[in-house]
Amino acid sequence: MSNLATLSSQLARRELSARDALALSIARIGATDARVNAFTDCCLDRAMREADAVDAARARGEALGPLAGVPYAVKNLFDIQGVTTRAGSRINRGLPPAGADAVLVQHLRAAGALLVGALNMDEYAYGFTTENSHDGPCHNPHDLTRVAGGSSGGSGAAVAAGQVGLTLGSDTNGSIRVPSSFCGVWGLKPTFGRLSRSGSYPFVHSIDHLGPLADCVEGLAWSYDALQGPDPLDPGCHATAVQPVSGELARGTHGLRIGVLGGYFDEHASAPAREVVAAAAQVLGAAATVEWPDAALGRAAAFIISASEGGQLHLDDLRTRADEFEPLSVDRFIAGALQPAAWYVQAQRFRRLYRDRINALFHHWDILLAPATPVPAPEIGTEWIDINGVRMPCRPSIGLLTQPVSFMGCPVVAAPLWPSGTGGLPIGVQIIAAPWREDLALRAAQVLQDAGVARTRPVEL
Amino acid sequence: MESRDVLAYVKASAAVLGLPLDEDRALRVAQHLERTAGLAGLLQAAALTVHDEPAEIYRPAPFDGALSGTPQA
Repeated sequence: MSNLATLSSQLARRELSARDALALSIARIGATDARVNAFTDCCLDRAMREADAVDAARARGEALGPLAGVPYAVKNLFDIQGVTTRAGSRINRGLPPAGADAVLVQHLRAAGALLVGALNMDEYAYGFTTENSHDGPCHNPHDLTRVAGGSSGGSGAAVAAGQVGLTLGSDTNGSIRVPSSFCGVWGLKPTFGRLSRSGSYPFVHSIDHLGPLADCVEGLAWSYDALQGPDPLDPGCHATAVQPVSGELARGTHGLRIGVLGGYFDEHASAPAREVVAAAAQVLGAAATVEWPDAALGRAAAFIISASEGGQLHLDDLRTRADEFEPLSVDRFIAGALQPAAWYVQAQRFRRLYRDRINALFHHWDILLAPATPVPAPEIGTEWIDINGVRMPCRPSIGLLTQPVSFMGCPVVAAPLWPSGTGGLPIGVQIIAAPWREDLALRAAQVLQDAGVARTRPVEL
Repeated sequence: MESRDVLAYVKASAAVLGLPLDEDRALRVAQHLERTAGLAGLLQAAALTVHDEPAEIYRPAPFDGALSGTPQA
C-alpha cells in the first residue's frame, strides 16, 4: 500500500494514469469494505469522468497540482450533486438528491481529485464511535472488533484501510481528531472559520468545522491548500484570503515554543495516551508543562451548546419521528432540546472569556501537545471505559480531550502514534496552534513524520 | 436536584415543546439531562461579570492575511 504522496508522484511522472489510480482504489474498496463498512455511497461513474478529464489534461501538457488523479471520499454530510445527503440518518433518505456539490467538494474537483463516494458517520454527527444503526457500525481496520471513532468514522477507516489516501470529515467536538486517533491516520481540524461549510449538513452552527484526513502530512497540506477560499455565503467563514502551507512544511520547528498540556489533559489520559505525547514531545524538544485555562469548563460549555443547538435543529423531527432516529443518540438529542436557556446562554457568555484567556496563552507558546483521545479504540458496543480508575460513560467521554480545543477554535493536527501495551492500536497526538496558524501545526507534524515517530501503518484485511 | 425533579422537568418541558415521550424514554432522557446538569453546575460557577456578553458569530481571533513564518518570542 503506497501513500498519497507516493501516488501523487507516480501520477506526476506518468507512471500511473488517473484511471489506474482510480482502479486501484476501487479494487481496494471492493476487497475490504464488506468488513470495514466505511462507504455508504459510491459515485464511480463520476470518478471515471473526473479521471478521464485529468488524464486528458495531462496528455495536453497542462500543469496539474499534486491532487490531480488522487481518489478521495467524503463523510456523507457533504453534498454530492445527484446524491442524497443523508448525514448518517434514516430520515434524510427521504430528501431529494443534492443539486450541487458542497463548496469543499468543488474545490477538490477543481484540484483534480477523484470523488469515489460518501462515508459512514454517526447520525447527524452526534457521536464519537460511528456505531450507526442504519448503515451498520464502521469497523476499525486495525482491529475489526473495535470502533473507528466518530463522528467521521468512515473518513478515518477508509484512509486506514488504504481505500483512499484522502477523505473529508467534520469536527464539532473531535469528529476528525477522534477517528484519526483510533484509526492511526493524519487529521486536520482547521481554525474555526477557515474553511467554508456551505453545502454540508450542520450539527452545531456555533462550533462546526470541516477538514481533511490523510495518510501522510503532505496529503493534509495539499488538500488544505486546495480547500481554502473565502465564502461570503457561510456566515461562519471568517478567512478572507488563502494562506497556503505546502511550501512551509520543510521549515521545521526550530525557534518555535512548544509545550505539553498538563493538568486536565494529563488527568484524563491513560498510560498509552501519555506515552504518545511524551514521544512526540521528545522529538519536538518540548520539555515544559503548560496549563490550558479552564479546560473542564470549556468542555462543559461545548457539551451544553452542542446538545442545545443539535437538539433544537431536529426538534420538529423529534416531535413526530423520534423512532426513526439513531437509538444511541435520540435520547441525547431530546435532552439537549430540553436544556434550560440559562445553561446555553451561560456557555456562550463563557466562550468569549475562554477565547481571551487562551489567546493570551498563545502569546507565550506556538505549539501545544495533548493526547487526542484518553484511550485507544474501544470494542464496538462498549458502554463504559476506565480512565485512570474512574469509570466513565464511553461514548461521550471519548471527546474529553478534544472538546476544550475545538470549543476555542484552534487549528489542530492529529498525528498517528503507536504506543506500547495497546495490542497494536494507535492513539493520536493533538498538535495545537494559535488561531490561523495551521502552518505551525503542520510544520511540527512534518517533523514527527520525518522522524518516523508519527506515521500510518498498513493493515492486512 | 433530585432525580425525580429532573424527570418532572423533562415531562413538563417536553409537554411545553410538544414532544411526546413515553415513560421509558422520559427516564432515559432524564438520565442524560441529569448528567448535563452536573456540567452546567460547573459552568454556573464560572466567574462572569454582568458585562461578559455572549459570543457573537464566533471568531477565535481576527483573521490576519499577513501571518506567516516563525513567530518571535
